[in-house]
Amino acid sequence: MGISSRLAIGELKDHKRIYTIIIIVIALTMTSFMLENAYLNYMTQVVDDTTKLVTSDAVIVDEDSNIRDLYGTTFELKNAGEIARRVERDLPGYKTAIRVTAQGTYGLGTAGEAVDACTIQGISPEKDNEISGIANKIVKGRFFRDSDPILRGHTPLYIEIEGPGKLPDFSWGSGEKLLEGDEPYPIIVGATSAKIHPSIDVGKTLSLTLSVSGRETSYATINVKVIGLYESGTPLLDALMWFMHADSLREIKRYGEITGKDWHIPGVGTFRGYSPIKIDRDRGDVVIVKAPDPLHSLDPIGHSEQVKEEVSSIVPFLKVYSWHDFLVYIAGSMQDVVTIMLWGSIIVTLFLCGATIKYVMDSIIMRKTREIGSLKAFGARDRVIFKIFLYQGLIIGLIAGILGIILSFVVMNLVNLYGLSVEFIAGTQLKVGFIINWLTLLIALVLPVTLSVLAAAIPAKKASMLSPVEALRKGELSL
Amino acid sequence: MPKTRNPIIKLDRISKKYDDYGNVVNALDRVSLKVYPGEFVSIIGPSGCGKSTLLHCMGLLDRPSSGQVYIDGKNTSNISGKEIALFRGEKLGFVFQNYNLIPRLTVLENVILPGLIMKKDSSGLEKRAQILLKEVGILHRSDHKGIHLSGGEQQRVAIARALINEPVLVLADEPTGALDSDSSKEIMELLVKMNKTRNVTSVFVSHDIHIASYGNRTVALKDGRLVGDTVGKSKDFIKVVKNLGKATGDGKRGD
Repeated sequence: MGISSRLAIGELKDHKRIYTIIIIVIALTMTSFMLENAYLNYMTQVVDDTTKLVTSDAVIVDEDSNIRDLYGTTFELKNAGEIARRVERDLPGYKTAIRVTAQGTYGLGTAGEAVDACTIQGISPEKDNEISGIANKIVKGRFFRDSDPILRGHTPLYIEIEGPGKLPDFSWGSGEKLLEGDEPYPIIVGATSAKIHPSIDVGKTLSLTLSVSGRETSYATINVKVIGLYESGTPLLDALMWFMHADSLREIKRYGEITGKDWHIPGVGTFRGYSPIKIDRDRGDVVIVKAPDPLHSLDPIGHSEQVKEEVSSIVPFLKVYSWHDFLVYIAGSMQDVVTIMLWGSIIVTLFLCGATIKYVMDSIIMRKTREIGSLKAFGARDRVIFKIFLYQGLIIGLIAGILGIILSFVVMNLVNLYGLSVEFIAGTQLKVGFIINWLTLLIALVLPVTLSVLAAAIPAKKASMLSPVEALRKGELSL
Repeated sequence: MPKTRNPIIKLDRISKKYDDYGNVVNALDRVSLKVYPGEFVSIIGPSGCGKSTLLHCMGLLDRPSSGQVYIDGKNTSNISGKEIALFRGEKLGFVFQNYNLIPRLTVLENVILPGLIMKKDSSGLEKRAQILLKEVGILHRSDHKGIHLSGGEQQRVAIARALINEPVLVLADEPTGALDSDSSKEIMELLVKMNKTRNVTSVFVSHDIHIASYGNRTVALKDGRLVGDTVGKSKDFIKVVKNLGKATGDGKRGD
C-alpha cells in the first residue's frame, strides 16, 4: 500500500463520524436508485412482455396502415404469406407468423356492465406460440386445440330477407344468426377482463362486435366462447388484448375463396349471404417477426430498432414497426417521465452529497494545513498530497456504492420473500418485482465513485497546490 | 572551521521580498552563508528579522526572490518542483516548533513517514527508526499515538523523524519554542548529542539567546540582513548578540 492510500485511510478513520454519515446517505440514495431502477426494469419487462404479444420484435403492416392499426388493422397486408416466407428466407434465424386482427367491443350492458373495448389478435397457434409463448401465460382454462370449432364454413354475417318481391335488406353485422351445429368461436381473454366483467369466464359465451373494416361492412357481431384466461403481467394491457384463432378471423373477414349460397333454416326462413368460405392462410393483416435472441439484453431498445432496420431492408415498400415503436405508442412518454424523475432525484441527492464531501474535505484541509506542509517538507510531491484526498473520495464512493448495492439486494430479497403486491384495477394485483441488470449495477457503483472522486478532486487539488511554507505558517496560525 | 571542505549548503546573496498589501517587505536582504559538514549552527535574531524565512529558503520550502541556494554542491534555483521534493526528502530533515507529528499515527509510524514518502523499504525503515528512537530515548513509547506524548517527547520523536532518511542537513525552526525550560534543555542537549555522535549537520532558529548558545556557530540576523556570524560561545558570541540590540529574546515564537 502506498503512502497516499495509507494516509487516506488514516484520514477516513480520523473523520469516520462525518464520513460514515456521508457514506450512509450516498448508500441509501444508491439503494433507492437500485430499487426504483430494478422495479422500473421489472415493470418495463412486464410491459415489454405484454406489448411483445402484439409485436414480438417487429411487425410488418400494409403501407397504408399506421401504428394505431396494430390494435386491429384497417388494411389487409397483401401477400402476407409471401412476405413472411421472404423474411424467414432472407434473415436466417428469424421467425414469422401471420396475424389477422380486429378491434372489438363487448359487454353491451347484458349484465349491467359498461361496454369495453379490446383488440383481437388472430393467431396461428403453433407458429405464434413459438414466437410469443402465449400458451404459457394461460392461468385458467386452456390454449387452442385442433378440435376447437375454429371454422364454421361460412361467414357469420347474414342478409335478412323480409319476403318475396322485396329487395334484400343488407344488415351487415347487425347480429349473428347461428346455424344448426354452429358453435361460438373459441377465444382467450385477459384475466383482468374476467375480473372486471362478471359475465366473462372460462366456458361462458359472450357477444363480441368486431370492427372488420376492409370488407364492405364496418363491423360484425359474433358469439365467442371463452376457453382460457391469460395473464401477461400487465393487467391493464391484458384487459385490452384477446386472442382468437387467426382462421376464425379469416372466416369473419372473408380472407379466402367465397362461394355464394343460400341457407334455409327450417321454421325460420331462407337466409342468403351465409357464404361458404375456404379460408386462405396466406392472407392476414400483420406479419410479426421474432429475431434471434441478442447476446446480451443491456440495450433492448437498440436491439428492437436493429431488427426493424433489418426487416425494413427485406420489405422496403411496407411499413415496419419495432416493438419499441409500439411500446412508446402504448406507454407514451410516461416511462420516460418516471425515468427522468428518478434520475432527477438521484442527481439532486448525489449533488448534495458531493457538495458535502467537498465542504468536509475543505474544512479538513484547512485544519490539516500544517500536516500537509510537513508532508511536503518530508519530500511529498504535489501528486502524493492530491492522491491522499482523492483516495478518500474513491474509498467513500466505493464503500457507499457497495453498501447501497448490498442494501438494495437485502430489500429486494425481503420483498420477494414476502411477495409484496399492490392493488391494481378491479381488484387485480400487480406483483412488485425487481430486475437487476448489469447496467444498473454498474451505474450504482460507478455513479457514487465518480461523484465522490470528483467532489474530492477539487479540495485535493487545492491541498496539493499549497505552498509548503504557506501551509506550515497557516497551520501555526490556526493553533 | 574546516573551510577547505565543500559546504553542505551555500546561500549566495539571497533576498526574499514579500508583497504585503502593496508594500514590498524585504524579509531577507542579500544574505550569503555557507554551512559545512558537522556544524551546529544557530540562527538568532529578533522577531520579524527573517530567521524562519532564511531557514525556509535553506530547506527549499520557499524560493528566494533572488540569489542562489546550493545544497550538496547543486544549484537549486532552477530545478523542478519534483526535484525540489526529492531534494527535501533525501537531503534534508526538518524539526518544527510544534513538532507536527501526525496524531493518528504511532510514534514509530511517524518516524518512518518521511522514509515511506521516499518509497524506502518499510522493514529497513522500522529497524532504523527503532535505533533512532532508542537514541532519542523514546523507544519505549514507539507504539503510542503521537498525540498522547508530552511536548518534549513529541519533539524527540520529531528529531528521530528528521534523521530517518539520513539527511545531509537538519533544519530546526524554533525546536524549543513550545517547550518549558527543562524540556528545552533536554531537546537542545539531544540535538547537540546527535551533532556530535552522528555528525549531523544542523541549523536551528531561535529567538532565545540561551537556546542559541547551544550552537557551535551562531549567525545573527537583523532586518533581513546577516549582522553576525561567529563560532563558539566566546566573546564573539556576545558581540553577535549585542549587535541584535534590545529586540532579542522578547518573543515567544519565531517569525
